[in-house]
Amino acid sequence: MTSVISLQKLAKHYQVPEREAGLKAAAKGLFKRQYKNVKAVDEISFEIQPGEVVGFLGPNGAGKTTTLKMLSGLLHPTSGTASVLGFEPARRSHDFLRQITLVMGNRNQLSWDLPALDSFDLQRAIYSIPANEFKSRRDEFIEILEVGDLVQKPVRNLSLGERMKMEIVGALLHKPKILFLDEPTLGLDVTMQKRIRTFIAEYNKRYGATVLLTSHYMADVEALCKRIIVIHHGKLLFDGNLSQLAEKFSAFKTIGFTLDNSNVDLSQFGEVVSTDGARVVMRVPKEKTSAITSRLLNDLAVEDLTVEAAPIEDVIESVFAVKKEAVE
Amino acid sequence: MKRYFDIYRSMMKLSILEQWQYPVANYFYMIGMIAEPVIYMVVWSTVANQQGGVVGGYTPGQFAAYYIVWTLVRSMNVVFTPYGWEWRIRQGQLSMSLMRPLHPLHSDVAYFAGWKVVVILLWLPLAFALTLIFKPDLNPTWIEIVVFFFAIWFAYLIRTMTLTLIGLVTFWTTRVSALFELYFAAELILSGRLVPLSLMPAWIQDFAWFFPFQWAFGFPIESLVGNMTPNELLRGLGMQLAWIIFGVILVNIIWKFAIRKFSAVGG
Amino acid sequence: MKGIKLAYNFLRIGILNEFQYRANLYIQILQTFIALATGLIGLQLVFSQTTDLAGWSQPELLAVLGVFTIMGGIIGAAIQPNMERLMGEIREGTLDYALTKPADAQLLISVREFRLWQTVDVLTGFIILIIALNQMQWAVNLWAVFGFFSALLMGAMMIYCFWLIITSIAFWVIRVEEIANLFEGLYAAGRWPIGIYPNWLRYSLTFLVPVAFAISVPSEALTGRLTLETWLGALALTVFLFTVARIIWSFGLKNYSGASA
Repeated sequence: MTSVISLQKLAKHYQVPEREAGLKAAAKGLFKRQYKNVKAVDEISFEIQPGEVVGFLGPNGAGKTTTLKMLSGLLHPTSGTASVLGFEPARRSHDFLRQITLVMGNRNQLSWDLPALDSFDLQRAIYSIPANEFKSRRDEFIEILEVGDLVQKPVRNLSLGERMKMEIVGALLHKPKILFLDEPTLGLDVTMQKRIRTFIAEYNKRYGATVLLTSHYMADVEALCKRIIVIHHGKLLFDGNLSQLAEKFSAFKTIGFTLDNSNVDLSQFGEVVSTDGARVVMRVPKEKTSAITSRLLNDLAVEDLTVEAAPIEDVIESVFAVKKEAVE
Repeated sequence: MKRYFDIYRSMMKLSILEQWQYPVANYFYMIGMIAEPVIYMVVWSTVANQQGGVVGGYTPGQFAAYYIVWTLVRSMNVVFTPYGWEWRIRQGQLSMSLMRPLHPLHSDVAYFAGWKVVVILLWLPLAFALTLIFKPDLNPTWIEIVVFFFAIWFAYLIRTMTLTLIGLVTFWTTRVSALFELYFAAELILSGRLVPLSLMPAWIQDFAWFFPFQWAFGFPIESLVGNMTPNELLRGLGMQLAWIIFGVILVNIIWKFAIRKFSAVGG
Repeated sequence: MKGIKLAYNFLRIGILNEFQYRANLYIQILQTFIALATGLIGLQLVFSQTTDLAGWSQPELLAVLGVFTIMGGIIGAAIQPNMERLMGEIREGTLDYALTKPADAQLLISVREFRLWQTVDVLTGFIILIIALNQMQWAVNLWAVFGFFSALLMGAMMIYCFWLIITSIAFWVIRVEEIANLFEGLYAAGRWPIGIYPNWLRYSLTFLVPVAFAISVPSEALTGRLTLETWLGALALTVFLFTVARIIWSFGLKNYSGASA
């Protein structure tokens, strides 16, 4: 299979005016501005195959949105190449735009004062979707998301989550092959997040679409993405699956066991995260995992011992703590 | 072609439905706007009466006609302002509309065209009231009415092009309100909005010839109110078309540079 | 007394704030210049066709333009910004912050904003006025000076009351921009002597939107047209409008707390 998204040493640099403190510097700045070159995206390369759902992670300012904008054609790369479905995104050819969609959690496309149905009709016209195809797909989406009674209400009367559902329906009516989703669940409550997640998974399954998704909510990533790409300070830090990510970045593992005798000092083995009755969860350094496990089994009467990777939030936290110098 | 027809129809429908929800707001806007021509009308009618009934070829009744038709033409001239572009870029609205397989200008033209339909409907009772109060002297011929119909829509397109051009400046710098204010002042004087151009000194009339302003304002009014020959009327429509074509070409050229700039720094 | 101190403090903060944005000063000067130029062109056009307009000579109308510009500056600097902020806060439900302060609410909401650079208009207006008075060969006259300044003060007060009434009763129907737009449209009528307008419009401009009193009465004072009756009428209307504004404001305030509770 050939990849549908392909980045080769893609980079985006910005010239940012540099401001120094002090009146003298400010006065100097009036005549000659000093610029600093900021590498928002610094030569990243990866390939995505058709039908993949990829989680695109990184702390704020890592370059995620900049990359998505380059892939969707809103930004010109400073150097390197991007290819999406064989198109050069920056040319923004209409044939290219017809096959992709970009959803940003904080932007809206729908008319604020009208029911979403009216805005959907405009999408139909803009993307030249044949009428019956439009109708059946629209009703299909409405059914999956269970929003039949909401599409008739003015968008301004909907809750944030309901509005996001409408935005997603509107963004997918033209059956895009590639979905760029930038924080689609931002600010939504847990059930709403879940519903949207399910819908994206369903869309991916039914239409074989490729999804590149950024999210602050690890639940989104865990549920949807088999593959994770992490960027940090504009550089590609990791590309693989979730367990490999934990393997690579987490300094800790979690050991869970049931203990008969509760009067044991466990601190000699490691840090106790929680105790629930006889059940104990401990966090231990990765390299000492096997040693501690055998000591636990030998010294104490433990049962049901399990060793797991640290929770994904912890892993991500340790990834994001990586210093800029370490990425260079 | 069929596709664009469909897009324009859908977009206009959307904006008509949207604007129809705010009749009060739209009316307030129009009433506020009507104060301006009423003031001009009263001032010039007073002058005409003092000068024995005619000034610059206009009687009070003809001034009334000029300034009542003015209100419709002014409404047709309301388009997306240059200030709106700055907002659009900052809010990320521009990014979203760039993602569609459609030139964003089509959306603007279609959206405001739909709004105009609402505006014209709301204008009719206002025009009726103004007619009762100020008793305009208006006897248009059929050809004048037909030309007027096209002229106001052409006027709308001309002003869309000029204001888009000015608005595109915001892609390079956001400190542009000074430029906008100068533009609006020039437009006020050279378009026939302040007074019919024939009342202006000859050198201003000559100067106005180099700008599109009068074709977006004075000409549509005079096509209905004045006594133009069919030849002059057609020539006027021709001039309007020429400015529209010139505007479209210019907007497209500048647009390319603007988007290049936008894609370099991001929205 | 506490109120004056409060107003002074807000004024000080407002001015300090404006100094942060000095570029706005240049934009304001340009805007004033443009408005002045178009006003003068309008005058010039009229007087190229006639020697007087409803009994007003060109220098006299220049004086009206001066008063118009002064009053416009006062409104733009001190009245409109406060009212627009108030409308925004009512809409977003953030008025509570202002209401919980230990001071008279009406006073507080009326003095919070001050646009210093708008006073360029006031200054320019006075310069035009002096030029006009010079052209009229005006002799200093105590009644005219007193009449002018008192009428200016009463006029500003009336415009303030008008805005407050509109804000208190109409915020739920229409948007700020529409009110501002409507007011600016009607205010422009003040550029010309009120006598030229047809009766219905003259009454609206006198009693509905008190533009006539705000601009025409001070101008009448300077051009020797002001009678004691008109002056007393202005005083009565000021007191009346202020009372009405106060009542409507209190009423609106009650409704506001009711709605947000």
